[in-house]
Amino acid sequence: MSKKIYELVDKLPKGGITVMALKSLDKFVPGQWDNLVGFDHTIKTVTGETDPALVQAIGERAITLFNDKGEGYQRALWLYQTVDSASGMLGTAALANRIGQDTFLGFLKNITPKPEKAQTIDLSVKLVTEIVAFCHINGIPGDSLGDFLKSLGDYSGESIMRMAALVAFDGVIPLGAEFSTKVLSSIKGMGPSDLDNNRTFKGVKDAIPGDNSKGKLAFITESFESTQGWMDQFVAEKGITQGGVVDGLSRFIEGSQSKLDYLGAFLDISAKYYEHTGVQTLARRLIERSFAEL
Amino acid sequence: MLPTRWLRRLAPMLVSLIFLVTACSSAPNQYDQVQKDTTGFGKPVAVSKDAQKGGTFNQFFPKSEGEFDVVPSQEKKGFAAYKLNKNGTTVATLSINDTISLPAAVAKYSSASDEVAGYPSVNQGTTTTGLLVNGRYQVKVSSRDTSFSQADRVDWLQKFDLKGLAELEVTTNKSSDNKQAPKLNAPPALTPALQPAA
Repeated sequence: MSKKIYELVDKLPKGGITVMALKSLDKFVPGQWDNLVGFDHTIKTVTGETDPALVQAIGERAITLFNDKGEGYQRALWLYQTVDSASGMLGTAALANRIGQDTFLGFLKNITPKPEKAQTIDLSVKLVTEIVAFCHINGIPGDSLGDFLKSLGDYSGESIMRMAALVAFDGVIPLGAEFSTKVLSSIKGMGPSDLDNNRTFKGVKDAIPGDNSKGKLAFITESFESTQGWMDQFVAEKGITQGGVVDGLSRFIEGSQSKLDYLGAFLDISAKYYEHTGVQTLARRLIERSFAEL
Repeated sequence: MLPTRWLRRLAPMLVSLIFLVTACSSAPNQYDQVQKDTTGFGKPVAVSKDAQKGGTFNQFFPKSEGEFDVVPSQEKKGFAAYKLNKNGTTVATLSINDTISLPAAVAKYSSASDEVAGYPSVNQGTTTTGLLVNGRYQVKVSSRDTSFSQADRVDWLQKFDLKGLAELEVTTNKSSDNKQAPKLNAPPALTPALQPAA
């Protein structure tokens, strides 16, 4: 049976690790994300309208658009959900079975950090997933490549928070502030078989442009190259550092300062930030379009 | 067989369990009907196959000017939207849609007492002003910030290339004379939320 978009938005968590982890990034993107939960509440917040008949009509049009598979919204949802669950499984791939030395390690005794190569593929696949999902949700807006890039660059709200989380949790924490250079040189040295052995890639590979894994690797490399400048500037402008991110997280994850590798793996398993903010982006765009069309 | 006294004790628990399960599985939602109507076999499509390509509308949108930046936002069949940003903050959204997919959207203009640039215009809710070109293409400006007033919306509606958009209808008719819009399940009319444009 089809997923019900209104139930997905109604059931988004108001708390828990994903929400707390995202809130800890507020200091880098202040006031951008307020965890919109509830379908009607989202309609009212996005449109500024409160008339019940109008809210209902907007909701009904949004559901109609979502349920039409040809419109691409269901594909985008699938992408956001799949890339999260596939990368989460990577974190549990091997068991460290260490004895906890403190409370935090107690949490983490069955988690092992991902190898750098896996983390590299993870980050780049997540980035490409964002671009593909963007196109399923918004089409390719404008008349030129410049228009399209301008549209991509105008991220705000939950979308900019998702990008902040990608850069912080999948980039800076496991790989350091220079992560983009590291990742780019690493994927340039990879072959198609490296991708084929990666769970995150396997989860979403059908949606990535390219005839085969070689073509898909080329697309991933190009996408990473063209957004590298944006990511580096984002990290520099917002002042995102390992210490700063960990400091924010340590308010709710005890003892995380000295266990960076494990922290990345822990977040990987626990935080579903792509799915959470992806559902919010999807709802927002559906609602904006629905009200415009009514 | 269970002794009767056990049954007496068990019965209320079972009844409560049934109530609990039923309550969880069938909590009604005001969107259940539309969900049912738009899924499964024979469901209507959300967008008519005869709708204009969204990209066709790009040429009619206003251009960036002064402190206002016009940024492409969405482009789907029968629909295109742009954000209107001022100093990096979105103050309004601009959109054009082909009402062939949603004929109910046209109905509100039949009672419009106002015109913008010669086209029938209405206010919708408290944030949006729209106009209808050639009975088919709806152009809307929605405020996303309280600083962007109804007068601002009317001002920006006039910055669209409305004459160009009106010619689009003529061209389309020539190439698709015999095409008829399929009947679609339209959402309920929005009469309670409509007021004439000031």
